[in-house]
Amino acid sequence: MPARNHKQWTSPPSLKAGEWVDSRIYSDPDIFEEEQEKIFKKVWIPVCHESELPEPYDFRTVSIAREPIIVVRGPDNEVRAFLNVCPHRGMMIERRPAGSFAPAQPSGNPKHMTCMFHAWQFDMKGNCAYISREEEGYQDRIKKEDQGLRRLRSEVKFGGFVWVTLDDQNEHSVEEWADGSFECIREAIDTEPLQVFHYHKAIIGCNYKLWHDTNSEFYHDYMHYHNRVTGFNEEYFARKNVAFGNGHVNVNSFEVKYDEYEGFESRAELSFPGFPPNQWYMIDMFPGMNFNLRGSALRCDIMTPLGPDKVMIEFRGFGLKSDSAEDRQHRIEHHNSIWGPFGRNLHEDLIAVAGQGATMQTGSEPRRIQHGRHEDNFIHDEVGMRHFYEEWGKWMDRMPSDPMKKYMAAAE
Amino acid sequence: MSANGTQVAEAVKDTIYRSCLLLDEKNWGDFFELCDQSFNYSIKAFSPEISYDMTYMSGSRKELKSMMEMLPKHNTDHSALKRHATVYTVDVDGKDATAVTSLVVYQNMVDGINSHIDSGESHLFLIGRYIDKFKIEDGNARLVEREVRLDTRRLDKGTHYLI
Repeated sequence: MPARNHKQWTSPPSLKAGEWVDSRIYSDPDIFEEEQEKIFKKVWIPVCHESELPEPYDFRTVSIAREPIIVVRGPDNEVRAFLNVCPHRGMMIERRPAGSFAPAQPSGNPKHMTCMFHAWQFDMKGNCAYISREEEGYQDRIKKEDQGLRRLRSEVKFGGFVWVTLDDQNEHSVEEWADGSFECIREAIDTEPLQVFHYHKAIIGCNYKLWHDTNSEFYHDYMHYHNRVTGFNEEYFARKNVAFGNGHVNVNSFEVKYDEYEGFESRAELSFPGFPPNQWYMIDMFPGMNFNLRGSALRCDIMTPLGPDKVMIEFRGFGLKSDSAEDRQHRIEHHNSIWGPFGRNLHEDLIAVAGQGATMQTGSEPRRIQHGRHEDNFIHDEVGMRHFYEEWGKWMDRMPSDPMKKYMAAAE
Repeated sequence: MSANGTQVAEAVKDTIYRSCLLLDEKNWGDFFELCDQSFNYSIKAFSPEISYDMTYMSGSRKELKSMMEMLPKHNTDHSALKRHATVYTVDVDGKDATAVTSLVVYQNMVDGINSHIDSGESHLFLIGRYIDKFKIEDGNARLVEREVRLDTRRLDKGTHYLI
């Protein structure tokens, strides 16, 4: 067909319902706000890794759906999570990204979380341990026993990630929530402790789902010279997408020929425990987390949506805690040559989603974004995205292909 | 500093500033001509988030040359990076020298996102330092090692280019 006029351009594609989405789901401010309430405040999110707080009294600050969170390791070695909000005047208790509460703070004692504003102090279980001039100000109307922090459900799971949910009534454990999607790499990441070696952030002008879409489909390997020369072979095209409950997907492995890219080397010597040489599994978890075990390094993307057309992506890389210095350096090079901020592939992926974001800004004309490739679930099938949006529709009670309609009503 | 030391320091500064101009121009070939065959390059940053001294990129002269020569096969943000450098210190030790250079890199946008809106715009891309080591030969300073020590860890789309 030649280039289309407006009517032709906006006509439904010759695909079935569920094989495209309306671009307003990537740009509508009301939908974004609703996603924060209906999805991000309800699900499990891996906010950091336990190796980021290795010692008792270590902490890490993060956020989910605009709610600031502090993760601490107690003297009992338990990792716990709390809202990073002082119950007194709503000050953010800790402002640093990470550190230790073992030393004294300017306003407080060692081994306590201290709100600098009025010196209220909390122990590592979130109990309020001290209110400055408590009796003078509150007499017996407020007692520190009643002023604990807001505790959050948390679990350390799947290779040592710290998972947090804002929803006390979340019906799932993390194990149940993952629904088996981690089984393909479970031995590799749970046999011995992992350690984070890479962290950087990207804030990109696009909706968070566009990054998840990119992680969920491999058809875009045409964009990556590296993946074409190290991948495109019979084994690659035999990889399958596998859907799990709760909107998760993983992608089966194959043997990557890393040395086909000039200057790169095989990763076979540094495979994770029980993981065949140079293999590559990927797990995409609803609503926006990605775990990517490729050869010698594990990558994890965690998305924090900042607006309908703005997302922060945190990129982490992991090796084994037992790595020798030499092995660790090789893992780092393997990870970053592809996935670092100066790597060959990540830059290309981020250019692509930034370009999508530029065409789907708030107020731009609604368009149909296609997810209609069917190849018996093989690698270039877009089933991953279709599976995600089926789940998204249920959580949002909106039809992804027509988000102003209710999910079930539109399905009929 | 002796007269000879002053001359070496000037040679070191000359190499650093020429390296900036050549990298600004994406003239990788002439940049590598400033480097010894044993040249090693790395981009590093300490992350207070994970309390880890990270290596974002590393490579030998040969590896980097190969990567830059393959750039036409990659999809890339072609926006130019422009370096503003000030050499803070040069320390000379016989036929070796080290230098610390304060570095600010701006990105002059071309095709990064939506060129109709943002081409021509310049913004801060990263801040950091060059920590360089040199071999002094015939009054010339050849780069033996360059560590780009970044403070910036929010790198957004990143880049395929050497810093």
